Amino acid sequence: MLALVVGHALLALVLVSARHRVGRSAFLIGALGPAATLGYAITRLPETLDGATITSRVAWVPSLDLTFDLALDAYGSVFLLVIGGAGVAIFLHAARYFDGSAKAATFAGTMTLFAGAMTGIVVSDHLLSVFVFWELTTITSYLLIGYSDHLARARSAALHAALVTGAGGLALLGGLVILAQESGTYLISEMSATLEAGPVTTVAFALILLGAITKSAQFPFHGWLPGAMAAPTPASAFLHSATMVKAGIFLVGKVGFLAVAATEWWFTTVAVIGFTTMIIGGWTALRQNDLKLLLAYGTVSQLGFLFVLIGAGERNLVFGGLALLVAHAAFKASLFMTVGVIDKLTGTRDLRLLDGLRTSQPVVFWTAIAATASMSALPLTFGFAAKEAAFDALIDRGPTLIIVATLASALTVTYSIRFLVGAFGAASSREEPATAPTGTRWGLIGPASVLAAVGIGLGLVPSWTKGLFESAGAAVPGSVSSKLAVWPGFVPALAFSLASLAIGAAIAFTPRLIDAISGSQQTLPAADAVFANSVRRLITGADRVSGTIQNGSLPAYLGTILFVAVALPMTALVDVQDLEVPAIGSGIETLIALVILAATIGLVGVRRRFAAIILLGAVGYGLAGLYLLLGGPDLAVTQLLVETLVIGLFALVLRRLPAGFARLRLQPIRVAVAAAVATFVFILGLGFASTTPEPVATQEYLARSVSEAQGQNVVNVILVDFRGLDTLGEITVLAIAAIGAAGLVLPIVRANREEDAA
Amino acid sequence: MKPARHSTILDAGIAVVSGPILVFSIYLLAAGHNQPGGGFAGGLVAGVFILLAWAGGGTALVNRLIPFRSSALMGTGLSIAALTAIVPLFLGLGFLESGYVEIDVPVVGTVKLVSAVLFDLGVYLLVIGMALRLVVGLGEAAPSVEEPEEGHA
Repeated sequence: MLALVVGHALLALVLVSARHRVGRSAFLIGALGPAATLGYAITRLPETLDGATITSRVAWVPSLDLTFDLALDAYGSVFLLVIGGAGVAIFLHAARYFDGSAKAATFAGTMTLFAGAMTGIVVSDHLLSVFVFWELTTITSYLLIGYSDHLARARSAALHAALVTGAGGLALLGGLVILAQESGTYLISEMSATLEAGPVTTVAFALILLGAITKSAQFPFHGWLPGAMAAPTPASAFLHSATMVKAGIFLVGKVGFLAVAATEWWFTTVAVIGFTTMIIGGWTALRQNDLKLLLAYGTVSQLGFLFVLIGAGERNLVFGGLALLVAHAAFKASLFMTVGVIDKLTGTRDLRLLDGLRTSQPVVFWTAIAATASMSALPLTFGFAAKEAAFDALIDRGPTLIIVATLASALTVTYSIRFLVGAFGAASSREEPATAPTGTRWGLIGPASVLAAVGIGLGLVPSWTKGLFESAGAAVPGSVSSKLAVWPGFVPALAFSLASLAIGAAIAFTPRLIDAISGSQQTLPAADAVFANSVRRLITGADRVSGTIQNGSLPAYLGTILFVAVALPMTALVDVQDLEVPAIGSGIETLIALVILAATIGLVGVRRRFAAIILLGAVGYGLAGLYLLLGGPDLAVTQLLVETLVIGLFALVLRRLPAGFARLRLQPIRVAVAAAVATFVFILGLGFASTTPEPVATQEYLARSVSEAQGQNVVNVILVDFRGLDTLGEITVLAIAAIGAAGLVLPIVRANREEDAA
Repeated sequence: MKPARHSTILDAGIAVVSGPILVFSIYLLAAGHNQPGGGFAGGLVAGVFILLAWAGGGTALVNRLIPFRSSALMGTGLSIAALTAIVPLFLGLGFLESGYVEIDVPVVGTVKLVSAVLFDLGVYLLVIGMALRLVVGLGEAAPSVEEPEEGHA
């Protein structure tokens, strides 16, 4: 399994690095990835169908217990079959869709990487690797949507998708970590259904839900998905209908039954979000004239339904949901490719302009017929069998859900008909109609036809897949009572199915009604406008905040830092009792102290900068002398060297400054800050002298220095070994500071060089 | 860019002390684990040397004496330090855990090589890089002598 995931990455690497040479075969090479996924899932089906979980563990950082834990059960197999099956078809389609340019080859590589990441999400057993692959799909999706990077629209759509799903990803990470802490394991397979209900669990599941909602384009975050249609059609077919948007659904399916057991609100929340998405998506799809946008909103709607079914954490609903998920992947990927073909042949996707495609492109037409038949759940299709199972399970959950689902499904039927009539009927606009040349482009449409045929074919023998969906829901408590049949018999669910078909068709064939819908005023604010607004507000808000905090005044910065440095520790020092004045040290110590004192007083008084620096150096050297006397040769050496270097650097800087200080007026606030710092330091000194802390740490370091770190200089051993992490952090800061300081004078350096050159 | 005045005494002085300073710098690095010193102090000594060299011969001299870019030194130093921290993890040891080998060197005797010294080498290189960048950067930002502007405190 690890080889499967890594193999995708290697394929992607090959494609990207050989992008100038692979030409048109890029997607054929890339297709090896999903083909391997498909092959793997099929060959392991006998085991997974039996309820076995295939695991693999690779330890990579043993001391931190970091392992790659992969697991594949029947639930994962369903998703692998979808990723692999849809993937192969779409890659083959894409091989004909794109020209053989290097950019297209990079696109193929990115799409292969995405396929690997998607496979990774499915087979990960470790919550953190789920997250890593999750984010990888976000990044690859960003790159794929932004393929036409010369278009501002594509760039902003890519950013929109990345920001929304990325933010959701952060929420997800939080949720996963909390979940792992609560259940005591990061392994999904070890997670029991005995999570304790409580506020912590609630927060964890809420965050995970948020991540899933954003990824699967659920209300109110669905706005990014229609925007993502800026991607080339193969990417839309693969990512934004068949796979990536199912990642959220995959996740809620994984944790749904745990959440149902541990919280009271899970099912209601999932149902409200899912059905709202379903209705809004279906309604908005009816208003689209762009075939691809119509499909995109249709996808939003279908995802809503899948979200409820699979996230419900109830055996029968999950059973129907998984069947519907497979059906959806087949017909929706097929329809997207169909739109891609139409776009390619006619140069437009506007359903008002398209004309005569039924006769000029019969294969495209029949492919679309087969796919939409499954989409609108006509009997004898797999979509029908799946929806029957779903309806059957929903009926058990009370009348509200089934009625909402029926109405929303009616919208599906309506936009399916709108799609067919718009794409293959006569042009309805007065503008120049768009027609296609005759002649079937099998390379382009063939893969779509195959997928559409799968959607019909599985419907004729649904019993083949029944076992898979049954095993796939095995983690969920309960048993499957729903059927998956070509004809369910006269059960209540059939009535709802037929009702949705009838209502949908009635709306579609009532011209007045359909005109009213597509011409109606948008009542809800468009999701992408809301998004654009909030991003703009965020940026102006951030501007204002940093404008206030970073006002550029050095005295203000210094004053703030000193004030905080004094105020916080001072409150702690109030508790220190019995301040003793320490005994005066030896003669030489007193002498050095007097020198420091004199230098400090002189420092405040002098008017020339150079003198001030020399005096400052005297203070530093004096301190070094004290360190040496008190038994810290390392500290003394370092202090001495730092002081020397700093004086030198000061001297360099001084050349740009006037020789003398300007006369300062005494400002009360500065005097106050200075006085506070002085008082604080004085009390602090007394406090340190008065308390004699237990030298536990010192003793321990001394004892361990030679035996464990093989070093006799305990100061150095502390720096490079015992507290090495601190040192690592400090030298990092040092490097940043050096780069920053040199960067500040860079403009002057450049100007000087130009002057020299002139 | 050279310092404004050229001083023969300074040049001669630099020539005399350069060698000892660098030897001292490396000594501090090598001895640090058992004697006062260490990578940080050693690097600072080298920094003082850079300052001296700049005063004598400007950027050109510094670049000739230290033929590395400051970013390369800092990057290498930080990488070495980070690697000595992380590599033990892959060997099944703890973060930053150090190991050592004892080798017999003729004449000198048994020498104990501790991997923590590698970490110190990283610190050493980074400090030299920092000094190089600051000295050359601030040094090149040459005086603009004819500016009798009002000073800032």
